[in-house]
Amino acid sequence: MSVVQNNSEKSKWYLPGILGGLNVTMKHLVTNLLNRKKMMTLNYPEEKYEYSPRFKGNHVLTVKKDGSLRCTACMLCATNCPAECIKITAAEHNDPSVEKFPISYEIDILRCVFCGFCEEACPVDAIRLGPEWQTPAVNGGQFIYDINHLAYRPSLKGGIQTHVDDEERHKQGI
Amino acid sequence: MAEIKVLTEHYHLPEYQTLAGYKAKGGYETLPKALKMQPQAIIDEVKASGLRGRGGAGFPTGMKWGFLPKNGEPRYLLCNADEGEPGTFKDRMMMERAPHQLIEGMIISAFAIGSHKGYIYVRGEYVYPIEVLNKAIKEAYDAGLLGKNIMGTGFDFDLDVYRGAGAYICGEETGMISSLEGLKGQPKLKPPFPAVQGYLRKPTIVNNVETLAAVTYIIKDGAQAYRKHGTEKSAGTKLFSVSGNVVKPGNYEVPLGYPLIDLINKECGGMKPGRKLKAIIPGGSSAPVLTAEEVGKANLDYESLAGLGTMLGSGAVIVMDDSQCMVDMLGVLTHFYAHESCGQCTPCREGTGWLNKILHSILEGRGRLQDIDLLIKVADNMKGKTICALSDAAALPVLSFVTKFRDEFEFYVREGRSKVKGTTYAEMHH
Amino acid sequence: MPKCTINGKEVEVKEGTSIIEAMQQSGDRIAHYCWHPGLSVAGVCRLCMVEIEGNPRVQIACNTMVTEGMKINNTSEKVKDAVKWGLDFHLINHPLDCPICDQAGECGLQDQYMEYGKYDPEMAEHKQKKHKVVDLGPTVVLDSERCILCSRCVRFTEEVSKTNELGLFNRGDRTEIGTHDGMPLDNKYSLNTVDICPVGALTSKDFRFRQRVWYLKDAETVCNGCSTGCNVKVYYNKEGFFRVKPAYNEQVNGHWMCDEGRDIYKFVNKEHRLAKGMIRQGGTWKEVHGGAAAKAAAEVVKASAGDSLALVLTAQYTVEEFEAIVGTFVNEFKTKKVFFWINNKESFDSFDGLLLRGDKNPNTKGLLKVLEKHGITATWNDLSAGLANGSIKTVVVAGPENMAAFPDFAERVKELSKAQNIVWMQATKHEALTNLPGNVWLIPVKTFVEKDGTFINHAGLEQKFKKATTIVSEALTLTEAALLLAGKNLAIPASGNEFKPMNQRADQVELEARKKNEFVFRRGSL
Repeated sequence: MSVVQNNSEKSKWYLPGILGGLNVTMKHLVTNLLNRKKMMTLNYPEEKYEYSPRFKGNHVLTVKKDGSLRCTACMLCATNCPAECIKITAAEHNDPSVEKFPISYEIDILRCVFCGFCEEACPVDAIRLGPEWQTPAVNGGQFIYDINHLAYRPSLKGGIQTHVDDEERHKQGI
Repeated sequence: MAEIKVLTEHYHLPEYQTLAGYKAKGGYETLPKALKMQPQAIIDEVKASGLRGRGGAGFPTGMKWGFLPKNGEPRYLLCNADEGEPGTFKDRMMMERAPHQLIEGMIISAFAIGSHKGYIYVRGEYVYPIEVLNKAIKEAYDAGLLGKNIMGTGFDFDLDVYRGAGAYICGEETGMISSLEGLKGQPKLKPPFPAVQGYLRKPTIVNNVETLAAVTYIIKDGAQAYRKHGTEKSAGTKLFSVSGNVVKPGNYEVPLGYPLIDLINKECGGMKPGRKLKAIIPGGSSAPVLTAEEVGKANLDYESLAGLGTMLGSGAVIVMDDSQCMVDMLGVLTHFYAHESCGQCTPCREGTGWLNKILHSILEGRGRLQDIDLLIKVADNMKGKTICALSDAAALPVLSFVTKFRDEFEFYVREGRSKVKGTTYAEMHH
Repeated sequence: MPKCTINGKEVEVKEGTSIIEAMQQSGDRIAHYCWHPGLSVAGVCRLCMVEIEGNPRVQIACNTMVTEGMKINNTSEKVKDAVKWGLDFHLINHPLDCPICDQAGECGLQDQYMEYGKYDPEMAEHKQKKHKVVDLGPTVVLDSERCILCSRCVRFTEEVSKTNELGLFNRGDRTEIGTHDGMPLDNKYSLNTVDICPVGALTSKDFRFRQRVWYLKDAETVCNGCSTGCNVKVYYNKEGFFRVKPAYNEQVNGHWMCDEGRDIYKFVNKEHRLAKGMIRQGGTWKEVHGGAAAKAAAEVVKASAGDSLALVLTAQYTVEEFEAIVGTFVNEFKTKKVFFWINNKESFDSFDGLLLRGDKNPNTKGLLKVLEKHGITATWNDLSAGLANGSIKTVVVAGPENMAAFPDFAERVKELSKAQNIVWMQATKHEALTNLPGNVWLIPVKTFVEKDGTFINHAGLEQKFKKATTIVSEALTLTEAALLLAGKNLAIPASGNEFKPMNQRADQVELEARKKNEFVFRRGSL
C-alpha cells in the first residue's frame, strides 16, 4: 500500500466535507428519533436479532422418535473437526439393531469455530448447528457441552427430531 | 429313423429289475468276457466307441479314464446318480427298471480303471430307486457278482449306495465328492482334478448312470457296433427326458443326431391340441433356450446344439407352448439357482440372488426398464468366473431368455402384467 | 526356477509358486480377499483375476501355478472389468455401515473399492438380512451382514488352531459364518480370525468401539508375554495403547500370535503404572521425581556396597539393561549377589505346539547370558538364607512389568521385605509394594514399548526393537537407574538413532525418532 498525497487546492477546503458528514449523522438522528422502526441498532439483550435459518450457532444433537440420540458414535464429526473440539466415547448398545452409541459426547464450545464441518460429516443427521448463538457461562467447565446440554437443553423442548426416521429408512431398505 | 432301444430294450419287463430277470435277457454275460480282457483294452474300446459323458458336460469317457495316474494308489469309481437338473428323469428310470445294468457297467468300468471300491451317489429324494438299488446290490453280492473274487477271476469290487441330502450342487462331481467325504457339498478348486486327487484325495472317476450302463453294451458288441448309431462325433444312443406341453412326455432313447423336431412331433405326439410351439430348452434348465424357428434346425447331438449356442446337457428337453409366459418361466429358473447356489464363490452366491430379486421385482410389477439390461450385465459377469459351472448354468438361461424374448420382458415391465393372457404371478416362497 | 512375464516385467520365481505370490514378489498390485499367505487356497472371492496369454478366460491367480514362459497380465480391460464386477458382487448385500464399523479405515473392501471399484452401483433390490451382533465366543463378535464369506476365519480354525469351531452354514446368499451348537469360538488363538477378516464382520470384544483406527499409530516391537518373542505391532495414540496385532516374521511367529499376548498392551497404560518415585524413610511416604528417587537410593546402596547388598532381577528387561545393572553391581558395588527371580518353574518348558510357551518372560535367555558373563552363580536359596540371617541388608529389585505372569508376586515381596532397605524398580503399581515395611525407594521404570533394546527368545534368537512412545515420562530404564544408583549422572544420548531392528521390513520407511512420536491425524485421506 502506498500513501497518495493529494496536494491540490481543492483538498484544502475540508470544511464542506465535515459539514456533509455531519449532515448524514443528523439525518440518521432525526429519522431514528421520529421513526424507530428504521433504526439500525438493537437494544440487546431486550431485543434480539433473527438470523437466517442457515445460521450456524450452537450445536444440537437430534433424537429419534423415542427420545434417544440419533448419533451412532461414528466419530466422523470428531475426525472432521478442524478445531478438535469434539470428544466422543462410544459403547455397545443393548439393542443389536442400534449396535453403537455414544455414552459421552462433549463439545468444547470455546474451541469450536462454528465451521459446520461436523454437520456436513454426519451420515445420520445427528448433529446440527442451531440458531442459538449466546453462549454465556460462569466458569470454564460449563463451556464443555455434554449430551444433556446438546440434546435435551430446555430450549429444545425435549429434543429435535429429524424428518427421516430410522424405521422408515429400514423399511425402504436403505 | 425312430427310437432305437439299446439300453432300454427290456425296460417294459417288471422282472428286469431282478437279477433273474436281468440274466434271462442276457445280463451279466458281458462281465466274464470283460474280466478276461486287459483293463487297458477296455479303456481303448471305450475310447474307440466315442462314448461321451451323459451327465451334461459330454466329456469323452475313455479320455477321462486315461487321466488316471499310472500308479498303485487306491482309486474310486463314483456313479453320479444325483439327478438334480430340472427336467431330467432318465437316471431314475434306469435305476428303477434296470439296476443290474448299472451294476454290471460299474463292475466293468471299475475293472478297467483298477478300482476296488465304488459308490452310487443317489439324490435324497429318490427313495424308491435307492430301495431298488440296495436290493439289487444285495442280490449281486449273494450271487458272487460283487465283493471278493468276482466270478472267480480274482477281481474285488465293493459297491455302496450313498444317499445325498437333495442339493443340486452335489451333482457337480467335486461337490459330490465333498458330500461323499462328509463335508458340506461344495465344489472343490480345480486343479487338482478328481482323476488325480478326488475322493479322500485319491484318484477318482465320476461317471453318470447312463454312461456306466452304456459301457456294458460297448464291451458286449464292440466299439464299432456302438458307433453304428449316432453321428461321427456324437456316437451311440441317448435317453432324452421330454417334459412340458407335449402330448406324450417321457423318456425316449434315440440315436444322437436325431432331429429335435422329430422327437417332439413323432415320438412325443406333437404339441397339445390347439397349441403352438414357442420354445424348447434342449438340455436341462441350464441350457440356453431355443426359439421355435431354431428348433427346426436343431439335431440332438453335441455339435449341432453347440452351433445354435446351446447344449445337449443331460438330455432334458423342456417344451414350452404359447401359453407359457417366458418371464414367469425365467422367474422359476432364477429362483431355483438362487436357492441351489452353494454360496462359495462370490459371483454365483450374490449373482444368483441378485438375478432372482430383479426378476421377481419385474414379476411383482416393480420392474424398471433398465432392469432388463441389468439382467444381461449381471448374468454376463457371472459367466466363467467361478469354481464350478453352476454360475454359468444360472447365467445362460437368463441371457438366452432375455435376448430371445425381450419383447415379453419389456411388455411385463411397461404394463406390469404378462404378455401371455391367463398368466398370474404367484409369489414364490423365498 | 520358472520364469514368467508379469505385466511386461520378467520375474523368476521358485517352483510351485502361484501367480498371486509371484505378483507380490514382483510388486504388482492385485485385488484379493480370500487368499492369505498363511492359509490354504480357497479361491472363492474370484477377485484375483489375471489374463494368461493363450487362455481366453480370465483365471484366478491364487490357484494357478506359474509355469515357464507364462505371460500374465492383470491390467487389461477384461481383467479390470472382471474385478469391478467381482467387487460389486461382494458389495450388493454388504450393509455399507462403515460409520459404525470398527474396520473402517483398515478395511479391505474400502481399500480395494477405492482402487478397483465400479463406482456405479446398480443394485436396487432389498439387501439380504442376516444375523447381527452374534456372540461367537468370549473374544469375538460376528456381524453376518458385513461378512463377505472369504472363509479365512474358517480355514484358520481348521488349519492353524485346529479347533474347527467355525463353519459356513446355509447356502447361496443366505450363507453365514457360525459356530456349531455348544462349541463357541474359544481357543488360545481366536483373535487371529479378527486380524485376517478383511472386513468388519469379526470384531474383537476387547477393542470393539474403543477407537477409530485412524486415530491410532502403530509401531513394531516384540511381544513380552512369553519366551517365544512374537513380532507384534502395538497400536496407540496419546490416550494410551489400544491393541496388539501380530507382525509377520517367518522365523518366529509367522502371521499369528496368541490371545494372551494381545493383553500385553494393558499394563503399559498409565492407569496401571507407577507414575512417580516414592520414598519412605522412617514412617511416611514422600512422592518425588523418578530420577530423584534413584539418586536418593544411591546413597543407601553405596553405604551397603559389598556383601550386604543384593540385586534381584526378573527376566522382563532387555539385554542392554541387564548388562548395565549387573555390570554396575559387580564392578562398582563389588557384589555377586545377583539373583534370578524365576516365576514359573513348573511350566517353564511347556509348549503348546504353535506359539505359546510356559516361560512367561521374554528374555530369560538374555538374563542367563548376562549372568553367565559375569560369573554369577547365586541362587534364590542364598538370598533366602541371607535375608533370614540378616547378612543381606539392602535389596535392589527389578520387578516385573507383566504382573499376570507373576502370580507369586505378593509372596515374594513379603519374603524380600525382611531386608532393611528395599530399592524397588517397577513399572506397574501393586499394593504389596506400598505395604512394604522398612525403608523403601520405589523407582518407576519403563515398559518394553518405551525403550530400545534386545530380547533373546527361547531359541536364542536376538530380536532388537525400538521405542514406540513414552507413557510415563519420569520412568527410567534399568540402564539409567543403574547409572543413578552408582552416583553418576545421566548422559544425554547422542543425536541420531543407531538402533536398527533386525526384524525391520525392507520397505519400512525410516522416520526420525522425534517425528514418529508426534500424534498425526490422517485427515483428508477419508
